Amino acid sequence: MRREIPVRLKTLLYGVLCVLCVPFVFPTWWMVTSSLKPVSEIFAFPPRPLPVDWDLSAYGQVFRLQPFAGQYLNSLYIALVVTAGTMAVAAMAGYAFARIRFPGQNVLFVVVLLGLLIPSEVTIVPLFQMFHGLGLTDTHWPLILVPILGAPGVLATFIMRQFFVSLPGELEEAARVDGLGRFGTFYRVALPLARPALGAVAIFTFLHSWNLYLEPIVYLSSPEKFTLPQALTQFVDAYGGPMWNVQLAAASMTALPVLVVFVLAQRQFVEGLAHTGLKG
Amino acid sequence: MRTFAKPAAVALAALLTLTACGGGGEAAPAAQGPQPLRMTIWTSNEAHLKLFDEIAAEYRKTRPDVGEIKFDPLPFDNYTTTLTTQIAGGNAPDLAWILENSAPDFVSSGALVPLDDTLREAEGYEFDDLTPSAVKLWQAEGRLYAYPFSTSPFGVFVNTDLLEKAGQKTPAEMIEDGTWTWEKVAAQNAAVAAETGKAGMVVRDFDYKGWDNLSTVWGGWGAQAWSEDGRTCGFDSPEMVEAMTFLHKSIFTDKAFPGPGTTADFFAGDAAMTVTQISRASLLQDAKFGWDLVPLPAGPKGEYSVIGQAGLGVFKQSANAELAADFLAFFTNPGNSAKLAAYFPPPRASQLTADTLAKSNPLLKPGQLQEVVIGGIEKGVVKPNHTGQAELSQTVRAALDPLWRPGADVKAVLGGVCAKIQPMLGA
Amino acid sequence: MTGRADARPLTGGRPARSGDRAADRAAESTGAGGRAPGPQRAHRFSGGGGEQVFWTMRRRDNLVGYLLVTPQLLGSLLFVLLPLGLVLWYSLHEWNVLAGTFEFVGGENYDRLLADANLREVLGGTALFSVGLVVLNLGLALVLAILLNQRLRGTTFFRTVFFSPVVVSLVAWTIVWRFLLQDDGGLNGLLAVAGAEGPNWLRGEGTAMLSVIVVQVLKNVGLNMVLFLAALQGVPSQLYEAAELDGAGAWTRFLRITVPLISPTILLTSIITVVGSLQVFAQIAVLTQGGPGMSTTVLVYYLYQQAFQFHHFGYGATLSVLLFVIVALLTIVQWRMRRRWVFNET
Repeated sequence: MRREIPVRLKTLLYGVLCVLCVPFVFPTWWMVTSSLKPVSEIFAFPPRPLPVDWDLSAYGQVFRLQPFAGQYLNSLYIALVVTAGTMAVAAMAGYAFARIRFPGQNVLFVVVLLGLLIPSEVTIVPLFQMFHGLGLTDTHWPLILVPILGAPGVLATFIMRQFFVSLPGELEEAARVDGLGRFGTFYRVALPLARPALGAVAIFTFLHSWNLYLEPIVYLSSPEKFTLPQALTQFVDAYGGPMWNVQLAAASMTALPVLVVFVLAQRQFVEGLAHTGLKG
Repeated sequence: MRTFAKPAAVALAALLTLTACGGGGEAAPAAQGPQPLRMTIWTSNEAHLKLFDEIAAEYRKTRPDVGEIKFDPLPFDNYTTTLTTQIAGGNAPDLAWILENSAPDFVSSGALVPLDDTLREAEGYEFDDLTPSAVKLWQAEGRLYAYPFSTSPFGVFVNTDLLEKAGQKTPAEMIEDGTWTWEKVAAQNAAVAAETGKAGMVVRDFDYKGWDNLSTVWGGWGAQAWSEDGRTCGFDSPEMVEAMTFLHKSIFTDKAFPGPGTTADFFAGDAAMTVTQISRASLLQDAKFGWDLVPLPAGPKGEYSVIGQAGLGVFKQSANAELAADFLAFFTNPGNSAKLAAYFPPPRASQLTADTLAKSNPLLKPGQLQEVVIGGIEKGVVKPNHTGQAELSQTVRAALDPLWRPGADVKAVLGGVCAKIQPMLGA
Repeated sequence: MTGRADARPLTGGRPARSGDRAADRAAESTGAGGRAPGPQRAHRFSGGGGEQVFWTMRRRDNLVGYLLVTPQLLGSLLFVLLPLGLVLWYSLHEWNVLAGTFEFVGGENYDRLLADANLREVLGGTALFSVGLVVLNLGLALVLAILLNQRLRGTTFFRTVFFSPVVVSLVAWTIVWRFLLQDDGGLNGLLAVAGAEGPNWLRGEGTAMLSVIVVQVLKNVGLNMVLFLAALQGVPSQLYEAAELDGAGAWTRFLRITVPLISPTILLTSIITVVGSLQVFAQIAVLTQGGPGMSTTVLVYYLYQQAFQFHHFGYGATLSVLLFVIVALLTIVQWRMRRRWVFNET
């Protein structure tokens, strides 16, 4: 990096950074504190940074109004399964596209890449019909299969391919000397090296699955099967008006654990992303 | 509808089991064993659901061929959209609630099962008890396609405590001396807003988006969104211009109504008055303020009343359409109708008396019920409805947006609305 | 093969499982360069040695290649291409969901597309949104990355702060912002405390678009920031030192050294951000519902309205095709331009 920075500039930099922090931190702060306020106080003017009447009832209501714990678990297990599955599929496909020369690979790669270009709103109706025809609506299968094998997984394949392309050519030779076949090379040599890229893929994929909104709404109709983003919008009163404090309490509970994990593991997060090979 | 499946079936012969069809619904062959039924609704109010489940349980006692009857609440916001998406995906419910503004679309679509025969033949149903004015919207070519299980007039809930605080007369007093008019009401609300810092009059569910709720206001000027036959735009009529000018002034100049982007919930005590359907009275269960329910104020063209409706229909696409229609008949027979009247005013003339209604609406006084509910249903005009409702509604909404600013040119904006929707109305 | 330092995938050099090993080694040591050597010619139903030589190294390699790729490919076929084909099929029909009619109308939907008066405004709004989003996002990400690339204590803390919205649920983030942007919401409250009067963010034609863009940028900029940070750290400091010795100012150093060396990252984040911007839906659905007027109705939202709200599924499908074409074109253009913009593309 660079040489030492003059004190004046340093103070200026810190100042700028602190100011920039505000729009990033304020919403989260506001979300948490509002979840602890009674509804009438949330829109009070002038706004108070901390609740005047600390009110924890919203948190209780979250669990009473929806099978929230179950929904949390749904989001969690689906995200984990999708992440593991995507890592496997993407690593395999990425390695093959990057390191094996087989006929038609370029065409096939482009075909696979098409998935990156298609928004989910475009394909949701035909996909729904397919799953409905198979009797798999109101199950979690569409939420697992499509992200792993379909469009969302393509970015992961792309990242893995970029990574594998950046490995030195001697890799396969060395593996061959050790008597490994192609698959063995992939599994025992290339894959362990791919940890940073796999880490990045895991992060992207987990977040993507965690945040899926349109798909659960379309496929799921039983509340106990809902996922978190879907559940968040269900906290409405009998006439459809949002129950603000309850929604924010649910949102806080959705965001905070992931945030905590991130804070604790953020070095790995960031390093994983940095090593995706995207920079070159 | 399974028409779209043909190409999919060709491509996915092994996977898909849907078959193409040309427009007439083919019900799947009935499976063995008790058949479940699903009804989509838009309320998740616990009391409502409890009542529905009770009625369903009662029905199942005598019908062993009926499995679980599920009441499936869809969010009210996007109710019609969600319902239609389910239908598009081949996942239509057996029965569904239908909003009055999408009634023309559903009724004319041929997707609903005609109910006349089933209802007439149901024992003790008393089909002729249904008031003609209530069922009008749900009929096409003389046949009834959905049962209007709820006809809910709009009234004004008033926070009498706030009025007192601002030194204003109560509505009861104003009705007595015949001063219960929009002009006076607006002035009152402006005063309350100024004095107490709370909001004045809230047209509930409008929120500068749901414009059809404004019909509760413009009715007083004799304005309409479109003509009776639905062919001519009514937004640029002199009556509408007058009504909207009044509204605009009340919002932006007098501050009698809260402005766009401001949230004020009457039922939480943050507003002086609100125009909404009487079924909301249940929200006042734990009210900490004194309140009253009165009819809509009179406009320059005199007194008027507006009603919202909800219908219940059966889909042809359902595998158990006959069973569903039978359940509908049970759900809405005189006995159950009286039970439902606690929340949903029925279309049955015999049950539209202050006494019957009072039994199940404990929060409302007989006088209020007679004035607002019964009077309202008899004379009321239904909220705006038209075929192609979704697109029409969204177009009007987008075209009205420029109006919700201080200094807007009311006449020009309204003219713009008509320019956009006239082509759609002709159809 | 041994001499090459680049990352060409290796071919034909792996040992066969059957008895061809000796032949392989022989081929290699003569420096055959990885081509399928002569003796390796596949015999169908071989005679020599009683072993089947159908599965040459090459073929076996190919097989492994295909096998590894199969899950992803199958998934793409089933969940991407097939639905896309179906959507194309739908776009050729008039499909009234309620009435249950599905009539073939050929190119009528496409004629309608060309004649659609709303489309101009929608495409204009989409362009404005995407451009605004990409510029703001990449610009802010670069600025933040540069700020954090300095030798300061506590950059980790700030990095965490800036990245945190990325991991918060999208719906949660949008709901919170919907509160904050109300006329009597948190943001205006904050401004009022500072003595300023905030506009009605979500209701003004210009401010609504700005609000949606900013909300989306704040959510995702952390991701791009991290990528830029990594790229910045990959720039050898000797280059900067040398440039300084030559008398280059900070801005020149930035323009001539930093930008070219991180240009691959810029390109990639640009592609991803542009494609992402054309898919932004939930934020608009929650914050503005496409309004006021149609100012924030971007193409994907318009598509949703047509298909899911107005039940014109056929026309909605046509819009989907349009969206796909636009995305494909933009991506191809950006990818082609990489030769011009990206330094040292390998």
